Amino acid sequence: MLQCIYLLSDSGEVMLEKQLTGHRVDRSICAWFWDQSLSQGDSFKSLPVIASPTHYLFQIVRDGITFLACSQVEMPPLMAIEFLCRVADVLSDYLGGVNEDLIKDNFIIVYELLDEMIDNGFPLTTEPSILREMIAPPNLVSKMLSVVTGNASNVSDTLPSGAGSCVPWRPTDPKYSSNEVYVDLVEEMDAIVNRDGELVKCEIYGEVQMNSQLTGFPDLTLSFANPSILEDMRFHPCVRFRPWESHQVLSFVPPDGEFKLMSYRVRKLKNTPMYVKPQITSDSGTCRISVLVGIRSDPGKAIESITLSFQLPHSVSSADLSSNHGTVTILSNKTCTWTIGRIPKDKTPCLSGTLALETGLERLHVFPTFKLGFKIMGIALSGLRIEKLDLQTVPPRLYKGFRAQTRAGEFDVRL
Amino acid sequence: MFNQFGSTSETLSKASAVVLRIGTDAHLYDDPEDVNIAPLLDSKFESEKCEALKRLLALIAQGFDVSNFFPQVVKNVASQSSEVKKLVYLYLLQYAEKRPNEALLSINYFQKDLGDPNPLVRAWALRTMAGIRLHVIAPLALAAVSKCARDPAVYVRKCAANALPKLHDLRLEEHAPAIEEIVGILLNDHSPGVVGAAAAAFTSICPNNFELIRKNYKKLCQILPDVEEWGQILLIGILLRYVVARHGLVRESLMLSLHGMDSNGFCEKDGLVRDLTLDKEDGGKSDSFDVNLVNVVSKCYIEGPDEYLSRSSCPDTVTSAFDSKETTSIAHNEDVKILLQCTSPLLWSNNSAVVLAAAGVQWIMAPLEDVKKIVKPLLFLLRSSSASKYVVLCNILVFAKAAPSLFAPHFENFFICSSDAYQVKAHKLEMLSLIATASSITSILREFDDYIKDPDRRFAADTIAAIGLCAKRLPTIPTTCLDGLLALVRQESFAGDPESVDGEAGVLVQAVMSIQTIIERDPDSHDKVIIQLFRSLDSIKVAAARATIIWMVGVYCSLGPIIPRMLTTLTKYLAWSFKSEASETKLQILNTTAKVLISAKVDDFQMLKRIMVYMLELGECDLSYDIRDRTRFLKKLLSCKLASNEPTEDSVASQENIAVHVVEHVFGRKLKPFTPVALNDRFYLPGSLSQIVLHAAPGYEPLPKPCSFVFEEHDQLSDLDRQREAGAELDGSQESSETGDEDGSSDYDTESSVGSEFSSDDNERKVSNDASDPAAPLIQISDTSVSADQEELRSKRALDLWLDDQPSTSNQTPSAVNSNQSSYAKISIGDIGSRVKPKSYSLLDPGNGSGLKVDYAFLSEVSTVSPLHVCVEVLFENSSGEPILDVNLEDEESMKVADSSEQTLVGKANASYNNVPTLIPLEEISCLEPRQSAKRLIQVRFHHHLLPMRLTLHYNGKKVPVKLRPDLGYLVKPFSMSIEEFLATESRLPGMFEYSRRCTFDDHVKDSRMENGKDKFLSICECITLKVLSNSNLHLVSVDLPVANTLEDATGLRLRFGSKILSSEIPLLITITVQGKCTEVLNLTVKINCEETVFGLNLLNRIANFMVEPSSLTS
Repeated sequence: MLQCIYLLSDSGEVMLEKQLTGHRVDRSICAWFWDQSLSQGDSFKSLPVIASPTHYLFQIVRDGITFLACSQVEMPPLMAIEFLCRVADVLSDYLGGVNEDLIKDNFIIVYELLDEMIDNGFPLTTEPSILREMIAPPNLVSKMLSVVTGNASNVSDTLPSGAGSCVPWRPTDPKYSSNEVYVDLVEEMDAIVNRDGELVKCEIYGEVQMNSQLTGFPDLTLSFANPSILEDMRFHPCVRFRPWESHQVLSFVPPDGEFKLMSYRVRKLKNTPMYVKPQITSDSGTCRISVLVGIRSDPGKAIESITLSFQLPHSVSSADLSSNHGTVTILSNKTCTWTIGRIPKDKTPCLSGTLALETGLERLHVFPTFKLGFKIMGIALSGLRIEKLDLQTVPPRLYKGFRAQTRAGEFDVRL
Repeated sequence: MFNQFGSTSETLSKASAVVLRIGTDAHLYDDPEDVNIAPLLDSKFESEKCEALKRLLALIAQGFDVSNFFPQVVKNVASQSSEVKKLVYLYLLQYAEKRPNEALLSINYFQKDLGDPNPLVRAWALRTMAGIRLHVIAPLALAAVSKCARDPAVYVRKCAANALPKLHDLRLEEHAPAIEEIVGILLNDHSPGVVGAAAAAFTSICPNNFELIRKNYKKLCQILPDVEEWGQILLIGILLRYVVARHGLVRESLMLSLHGMDSNGFCEKDGLVRDLTLDKEDGGKSDSFDVNLVNVVSKCYIEGPDEYLSRSSCPDTVTSAFDSKETTSIAHNEDVKILLQCTSPLLWSNNSAVVLAAAGVQWIMAPLEDVKKIVKPLLFLLRSSSASKYVVLCNILVFAKAAPSLFAPHFENFFICSSDAYQVKAHKLEMLSLIATASSITSILREFDDYIKDPDRRFAADTIAAIGLCAKRLPTIPTTCLDGLLALVRQESFAGDPESVDGEAGVLVQAVMSIQTIIERDPDSHDKVIIQLFRSLDSIKVAAARATIIWMVGVYCSLGPIIPRMLTTLTKYLAWSFKSEASETKLQILNTTAKVLISAKVDDFQMLKRIMVYMLELGECDLSYDIRDRTRFLKKLLSCKLASNEPTEDSVASQENIAVHVVEHVFGRKLKPFTPVALNDRFYLPGSLSQIVLHAAPGYEPLPKPCSFVFEEHDQLSDLDRQREAGAELDGSQESSETGDEDGSSDYDTESSVGSEFSSDDNERKVSNDASDPAAPLIQISDTSVSADQEELRSKRALDLWLDDQPSTSNQTPSAVNSNQSSYAKISIGDIGSRVKPKSYSLLDPGNGSGLKVDYAFLSEVSTVSPLHVCVEVLFENSSGEPILDVNLEDEESMKVADSSEQTLVGKANASYNNVPTLIPLEEISCLEPRQSAKRLIQVRFHHHLLPMRLTLHYNGKKVPVKLRPDLGYLVKPFSMSIEEFLATESRLPGMFEYSRRCTFDDHVKDSRMENGKDKFLSICECITLKVLSNSNLHLVSVDLPVANTLEDATGLRLRFGSKILSSEIPLLITITVQGKCTEVLNLTVKINCEETVFGLNLLNRIANFMVEPSSLTS
């Protein structure tokens, strides 16, 4: 089981240490870790399980903060990694993000949360809605109160009612004057277009996100019009397996507030809403590059916040890029981002320019990969449709809302 | 309207955060010591206390030691404010172990809080009390836990379950039965939340107590989907282990059904399985499953690291490991069916660890045709966070190695995204090259083509290696691959100066090596490719790539009609470029020219000879001594050739001249045909840490032996009763099993150093001395003053009283408790030396070695060559009917080095081993008559304490690869020390340097000497010592004997062994404490103190394993 958790800032400073068991882990392990990651670079940073001379380390990096956990004995590594991800999620939910300042400013809350989330190296309470009842998230009111009175406890002195019930994700009896339940389909499109311009892989990763504010103990059923298109799925613990197995219906008692009901994947899509046509020619030390971006098949809704980013190869010494629409920025690490926004009606956005290669190189022999970003509100590109959402006992003044959106996930266009 | 309000509050909160970070704890973290903390702690305002505690926590967070505030903080435990209480608890847990005396002050408040009506308060109190890790309060904590295990609030019961491992961790042997009993109660809880936590407790306390699971098996399966995700992960593992231990593996599963396929074993009758698997695949059996590998994998799951390492037969000759009695069929077994049913919906879990654990169960237990349902959920996990992606990929790789057909249709999932981390990319490439089939290879190759142009050149080089692998696996594609690779070589070599771009050189080298792998399969049809490579030699600048191509010149110099005609030109070119080459290329040029010369035709011979002479002259005055050495060596070797005028001397002359033979043998050898790599991978259970780090992590347990748990109602019951009885008996005398430190001061003058006697030179004499008086072992009683009343002092009640009444005297009392040790006697054991027989392992069994049987045993002697060497006695025995000639044992590694000088492409790292040979060879046995045996002594230096060493056994002119497996017990040497030294060293190695394990021991029961009236304690000591010394090279430092106990009860018997790690001279201390009754199976606790944690833990596991093994010695 886990013995210790460290939070490291992006400069390698140990911001927090939480010993979990009687076997104390010395801080020097962090120094070892940081030395290694400095000397070995990125490939070490992306290694989630590390066998150090004394301990096994598990790491995840979230917004520059490294969450490091140590163990000396055999344990499922995914359990440690999932737990650290959960800690990171809960912290960013509580603090509105994770960064060095936020963690240092709220270190007491972080300590209290960690103490509640893990006991003796084994996860204790990880359900966000229950944690919220035990430890109040910092908000404006409590901050003001603490300034004025100098005394505001964020530790609740009663046990959340859900912590012990058979539906541990839900407080037993929340009360709302208006009952609202919202269902969002949030989809991400992953695609790979190879150097010949062919669509090699195109699939949708989607999540059904819900926000439920319902009184009492509601029992919901959500059904899709076309569940057969779903390739794989994963469910929130509240979803009952039996109804899904027999007739593909989601039956569940929802947690209170926002949560992710399920995630799914739809594979082998035939079409992408947009195209990217990059061209590159290189000769005698300079390269000409031109990239066209446009709409291939109109999804029926506006495509927004289109961006295209790519990494210039190492052998490029300088770049001169311009576009007829949107802005182009090149960062010092040779990351180039072209912010397009919406596609204008009258022209096709085009990025063009020249790249100067390092001296001695005749032509470019490695090519960048373009990452496309976009967002379409109001449509789920997978074609998944929600048929209906039923409540077993309909409360008074019930409001149900449905939304959908699609954005680009890992959309790679190779050149 | 709400929207507006929301946005205003958001801006406000942003403003407040930006302006001053008002109301947060920022100032406390940045400057925790700007006010005096001590008075704040004593303040009567809760808010000030709270601030002080926050400052302390800030200091802890920043790594300062603030334990000096302990007394003041402890007082605040009485606070009514929940926040203060929480903060105090956080502080207490950090420092309680360091300040045990003051920590005791808080116990009263915990006791009070445990009775609080608020379940949260009860839970906190329990968590903290169990967490402060003081042996003194352990009985109290245990009582509290057992009370809380019946608490009405689920949360409290959950915390009770979590508290159990904390108590177990204190190693209170006498409380173990009580703790296990509570685990059983909690496992039987009706709330899923509690069961999950109880599963965690079970895993860390008594993972092999299957009796507890048996009672609740059905219920646990039913409750599994409702258990919390973290509990599910562990509970799945427990249920799997139970089913394997109870019923064995499933006959229809992937693990076994293929097994029957090739060995025609017990599966024959199951025609159903055959049909299913046969019509499932179009490409036939061998394509869809790697039968050998599946067998290796399933074997690996069952056997522990020790067995794996000591397994004598080579892994690729795996024979039927599973008896049909140890298997079960899913059709008839309800338990297996339920397990599969209840784990399969978990493949939809949101938690990737749960999915992987459930997939592991299906992989091992599910019938062959159902295994494929794990594929999609596993692939879906690849869309989760990058960290879990890596772990999942590592596991999928193992599945895919054994059953490529499962994943073959899903190859698109392993296409690489630009955002993948390097390790993920590398694994995906390996995956793609594993699962490529004739139908998918075109798409995969097109992808590879894209990857080659990736800016990450290391990844591009890996891709090229993957192409080579694909071409090796699929015979249809090499031509397409070769064209592409050749084009790449041409392009790379024109890409300009490779030094200017990193990684470019690697791509080129890899391309040449991939071409070489493809050619190797079928050189005859690729001679044009070889010629093209030779032609491009001029434009290739990278030394390693040049060296490879030049090496190919030598190897393929007589291939086809064209190449031999190019040779003169080529060698001329090489001679011309010799001066400007890098040294690895120079070495290769010298070798190649020599090879060319040997195989030269008559008309080229004179020319080649002149070139050779020229090059040898150049080489002799080279700057690098390697090249000078090589030149001189070649000059001597080739002297006969260089002197002659003809390429091949007539046969009569050559027979007289051995040198010619040697030269022919060294340089004229043809490349060995392509052989598949041996299956010597080690596999661990899916989802385990060991599978990721590729060694057995401490605490890794393979699946239990199939059907090892036999349930017999009567026996189990009586056993439980007995345990309970023993527990009750021991309850009062908790300290008796504590360390006997105080004894060290008493007059200790026994001459009991048994261990050293074996290693000392004059052991003959001493042993005979001791043996002369075998019936009178020396017993010295050092202290007999402890009476039963004093024992009483330490009982729970007394502690309670003392805690309630006089907290002020807490400073003295615990030490007083400690000094009331029960007495021990030191004994010495004499006549063991003659009975110690080192265990022997088999290196080659007569079945494989055509009658030659080779065994080896580790000796306790210390090597004369270097401290790193271990002496191994090798026993050769001829069990065949004919004499065996020229038996010798050689190090494969060293042969490789010799080979590599002429073959290896890139400079090998192993040349730099610290100049000590890894094997001091034995004298060759020229002839071994039938039924004759011969003993030889070799000295070996292992590269790693777990990895076997590869040796080559020569006999009758044949070569057989064998593996010599290190025995951890002999990688230490005896370290003779006095008991005082031992205790002093031990006290310097606390905490993480100390680890212990429990095991059982039953040799003494079988030992017939027990009956003939000998002292029971002594014979137990003897048995244990014998067992330990027969399996490892240690020095017995002392034996402590409890005197106060009854004659039947061996509890408290303690043996100490001292040793040093061979390689690093780091001391390693072993303490074995006995618990149980003389006539029954004993429970041993083996404790190791050592700085070298990894080695220590491995050795600990080894000791625990051999203690349990049935003894081979019969007296």
